[in-house]
Amino acid sequence: MNIELKSIHFNYGKITALDGVDLQLAEGACGLLGPNGAGKSTLLRILLGFLRPDRGDGRVLGYDIRQEQFLIRRSVGYMPEGDCLIPGMDGVTFTAYFGELSGMPRQEAMKRAHDVLFYVGLGESRYRLLETYSAGMKQRLKLAQALVHDPKLLFLDEPTSNLDPQGRNEILELIKDISSKKSIQVLISSHILPDIEYTCSYVVILNKGKVAAQGAISALKEIQYSLYEIKAKGETERLVRKLEEKGCKVEETEDQLLKVYMPTNLDRKEIFRLADQEKVQIRYFVKSQTSLEDLFAQTVGVD
Amino acid sequence: MPIAEKGYAHWQGKFIDRKFAWWPITRLAVRQAFKKKGFKFVFFGSLIPAFFYLAGIYISERLEDFKFMMKGTNRFLEVNPAYFRTYFTGDFLLFMIVIIMVIGGAGLIADDLKYNALQLYFARPLHKKDYFLGKVFTVFFFLMFLTLVPGLIFIIMKLVFAGNFKFLATYPWLPVSVILFSLALALFFSFYTLLVSSLSKNRRYVSILLILIYIFSDVFFGIFYGIFHNPYFALISIKGNLQQVGAALFKVKAPYDVPWLYSFLILLAICILSGFILKKKARGVEVIK
Repeated sequence: MNIELKSIHFNYGKITALDGVDLQLAEGACGLLGPNGAGKSTLLRILLGFLRPDRGDGRVLGYDIRQEQFLIRRSVGYMPEGDCLIPGMDGVTFTAYFGELSGMPRQEAMKRAHDVLFYVGLGESRYRLLETYSAGMKQRLKLAQALVHDPKLLFLDEPTSNLDPQGRNEILELIKDISSKKSIQVLISSHILPDIEYTCSYVVILNKGKVAAQGAISALKEIQYSLYEIKAKGETERLVRKLEEKGCKVEETEDQLLKVYMPTNLDRKEIFRLADQEKVQIRYFVKSQTSLEDLFAQTVGVD
Repeated sequence: MPIAEKGYAHWQGKFIDRKFAWWPITRLAVRQAFKKKGFKFVFFGSLIPAFFYLAGIYISERLEDFKFMMKGTNRFLEVNPAYFRTYFTGDFLLFMIVIIMVIGGAGLIADDLKYNALQLYFARPLHKKDYFLGKVFTVFFFLMFLTLVPGLIFIIMKLVFAGNFKFLATYPWLPVSVILFSLALALFFSFYTLLVSSLSKNRRYVSILLILIYIFSDVFFGIFYGIFHNPYFALISIKGNLQQVGAALFKVKAPYDVPWLYSFLILLAICILSGFILKKKARGVEVIK
């Protein structure tokens, strides 16, 4: 396992940020999802060794998160969310500098910086001052500095924020390439669910400091619930209430479509039985393809 | 722009454990400072007094040759600890140090805060102390170049021009004083600059603060001293405190009738306060961002 956390607790004063987080992540790309304040950033900081958990143990790439933070930081790459740069530097000096700070010999760091900048598509701009870079270029630069020391594990915090569609696609392609072909495990914290769905095969959903769900995306979508889309005529409020009493989560879209998240232990015939009870006509019924957004909404309880 | 112009290749090299992990930070900060507009001019311009003092040392050994210029007195050209104290605590040098800090030091932490670079630093195998040492030694580099280097050259040249070791025999402690006062000056200005630099994300505000605090502490001393005629008001002046400590280290009469230890303690308190605030700032970046 590359990341193993056991019962991690962390508080900021009286505020509980993480409440008994257990995680086991192996190879591949993993998405870290959760609403604001769910504890994603705190979890990343604990994994990087910035913060010491109040309780619980963990290992990242086999290194203890309490004792061996330095070894962890040498072996992982971190791409923060906001813009990060040092004014007055060019791309290649910047990237080489952080390689050197990671422990690479100076000349090798410089050579490697050139290679990595070409890899992320900044080869032509590597001698330009960082202040003149566009948002997309800054994002790629952050990826380059995270890759320069050839980490085994990459933490990406909102890697596609502030990017135009083309820039977003390019970054996603890079992430997919890194995680699938370069034997680098990637942990992506993002609010953009389609990005996670595109790049990751595994997902961890945090809510209120706890792991609300984790597993392979395909398995989670299958196992947790079934999603049905219904159009009905009659007193739909009463039908919705009855469905909720049975443990379903029901959402009504703007075009009066009911999305019913049904637990796997319930039979879909139950919908028709309840509709009959409440004298509601079902005029449209289809088992929907579930997306990560549906899973997220169902798990965390937000739209 | 094409993405992935080149494939990704794994790095086959080995990491090294640097004895001085702060060195790349210092090297970069010094290089960045010299790239700034006007910095070279100000930095090397600050060495002009050193050339005059060096000329003074030469003239002091050739008084006979220059007697026609002395108008019957050789007091000014007596090279003794007071001569060194005058160089080290002179208004021009201290002011130029502040200007150098404004151009080359104001952004040391302010820029990292503004551009969120701290989290990149701390995501590396780097202690907080290494980060701050990297910044502190940047200031040290500039200040040692203006104080320690000229000070030691003065002593060496005095011996060379005199052709004997009489000067060193008379003042054997002088090289130690030069080293200690250079260190004290560098240490104080390092903490002072980093403290002010960590208070704002805007290097312009930091620059203004650096100058204003230095100048106004002296102006207020002048005003209060003028009104109350109490020399203890020298303790509110940064320049006054540095001059007091300098006088003590060069074993000459203090400019103000105040125990030098008080000045030393005030400067030390500023350094400790700076260290405390800097530590909190670094912690804040890790926890809050």
